[in-house]
Amino acid sequence: MFFYYLRLAALSYRRNPILSSLMVLAVAVGIAAYMIVFTLNYTMGGDPIPHKSSQLFAVQLDNWDPNTDSDPPQQLTYTDAMALQQAGRAWRQTASSKFSGIVEPDNPELRPFMFIGRGAYADFFPMFDVPFQYGSGWSADADANLEQVTVLSRDLNERLFGGANSVGETITMDGTQWQVIGVLDRWDPVPKFYDVNNGPFDSGEELYIPWGHVVARELPRSGNTNCWTAIGGSGFQAFLNSECVWIQYWVELRDANEEAEYLDFINGYVQEQKTLGRFGRPLNNALYDVNEWLLKEEVLPDETSILSMLAAMLLAVCLLNTIGLLLAKFLGKSAEIGARQALGAHKGSLFIQHMIEAGFIGLLGGLLGLLLAHYGLEGVKILLGNELMMTDWIQLNVPIVITTIALAIVSTVIAGLYPIWRACNINPAIHLKTQ
Amino acid sequence: MLEMIDICKVYRTDLVQTHALRDFSLSVQEGEFVTITGPSGCGKTTFLNIAGLLETYTSGSYQLDGVEVSQLNDFKRARLRNEKIGFIFQSFNLMPDLNLFDNVDVPLRYRGLKASERKPLIEKALESVGLAGRMKHLPSQLSGGQQQRVAIARALVGSPRFLLADEPTGNLDSNTARGVMELLQEINELGTTIVMVTHDQELARESRRNIHILDGQIHEENGRGEMSSSASAVA
Repeated sequence: MFFYYLRLAALSYRRNPILSSLMVLAVAVGIAAYMIVFTLNYTMGGDPIPHKSSQLFAVQLDNWDPNTDSDPPQQLTYTDAMALQQAGRAWRQTASSKFSGIVEPDNPELRPFMFIGRGAYADFFPMFDVPFQYGSGWSADADANLEQVTVLSRDLNERLFGGANSVGETITMDGTQWQVIGVLDRWDPVPKFYDVNNGPFDSGEELYIPWGHVVARELPRSGNTNCWTAIGGSGFQAFLNSECVWIQYWVELRDANEEAEYLDFINGYVQEQKTLGRFGRPLNNALYDVNEWLLKEEVLPDETSILSMLAAMLLAVCLLNTIGLLLAKFLGKSAEIGARQALGAHKGSLFIQHMIEAGFIGLLGGLLGLLLAHYGLEGVKILLGNELMMTDWIQLNVPIVITTIALAIVSTVIAGLYPIWRACNINPAIHLKTQ
Repeated sequence: MLEMIDICKVYRTDLVQTHALRDFSLSVQEGEFVTITGPSGCGKTTFLNIAGLLETYTSGSYQLDGVEVSQLNDFKRARLRNEKIGFIFQSFNLMPDLNLFDNVDVPLRYRGLKASERKPLIEKALESVGLAGRMKHLPSQLSGGQQQRVAIARALVGSPRFLLADEPTGNLDSNTARGVMELLQEINELGTTIVMVTHDQELARESRRNIHILDGQIHEENGRGEMSSSASAVA
């Protein structure tokens, strides 16, 4: 009977095209508004590396001002990051930080340009499952020996080498030659979990080099640097020795045992540092996996929850309208419902028939809502603009499309419950006589 | 076949009670053609709706084909209606979106028959009312008389034992009405029991048994041309 009822639903739509289209439009507008906000929240707050987010941990060491109760810092000092890196106690670990530089293309037709790069250790690429189009990342030896190797983003490779396999080629950066050993495939985790305090929705870096070069070459930092006390002295070395935090530090730990052992290790390290006069606060170190980290750092702006509420209210208003329209439509079919009862339909079958009709309206509303949501999201991209944040990730995907359709059908069927109940409880005798 | 004993139907509102039927007793035997007449508001349609299980009654007893219907739930009443009763209405009550084939198909759908079982039954029913060639037409493409013929085909397609007709000729001109009556008589001669409500005394006189209702009670009965006066017409 399902397909029979579906056909009846389509015929019913054709009988009252204006009323039915109004319902579809009401559902579509409500669903579109809700799904635009949902898509933003879903993408912004989603798990950027779901297959191993529970194994990747941001390291928090609370070296902050003992005279305040402010939150612990999000990044590490050079001293601590290097101590943890050299200890190598995790399965994988990397300090990393953003820097800026200038590339001088060999191609005389291209002018030198600025880029944003990242210094990282060799583990950065396997830890975060960074995909490669050509070549690979560098080895631990390259870190240790400060080899002048680099990995390019897909876009930078496109710009410098027209997208060709550039592994083995060299580029000139800040007046020095660097050998290309790898080119990334498209990689833009959203949010950019490994560096949320420097723009979680910024685009990824264009170029990667062994982290040691950042210090050795005193490359210009391109991220937040926070200090709670004055730097003791002048010059770069004084900065490195200071309590200023500017390095993101991540470890990969394969199970709960490794996590517990690593926490013990960093607690032990801080206790040791306390004896040297550092870490004035009570022990407050922690490991946060990716999702815990995004939550702690409140990556989703507060406005999103207000927007969600507004969108849900708009959806509710649209569904209330739909209830009224469905009521008008179903009660307008009283004679048909009466005739069907006379011909042998029981209330249950009439209820199912009209649930399917409401679901059919919801399906059409969902499809139209998807189209509106698509254009709505394009509008959001224009509003935000790429100067404010990278917006390429704002798009509908398969789970969102399925959610939209399901939400439209379910909400319309729920909205239809009262009109259906009313329609199925008419006195057929009255309507059969007065058609 | 149909046995009503002391049926009462009272419509209540906050202010008034209306007795649509009072101590209404009637027995209809298999194969009879009974017409029900009476002035507007006398309870004819209420009787027909109760007989067709579309309405409940306030008190009394009603057995349809040996089944006491008062205790039946909605599902069982619908099943009984579907299997034993065919309805014909004054305003035809065809589904405007469905073609003739699909209109006649409706009661068979609720019976749960397969498409291969339904198709020959529908074709036969439409053929019996002379509309086999117009199966794909919509009701709006037919005249009133033709629409009523479709309604008759729909009522008969499930081979019910009992046909209830509420003013089946009320919306038709006299010639067309005559054709519909002849069709009903043919159906009756083939064994289907018919109870027909009508205002038309001419048509009522042609039936073998006529019940006249007044103020919710059987006022007189005229069977096989013989007049009798009775408040109760239990056969």
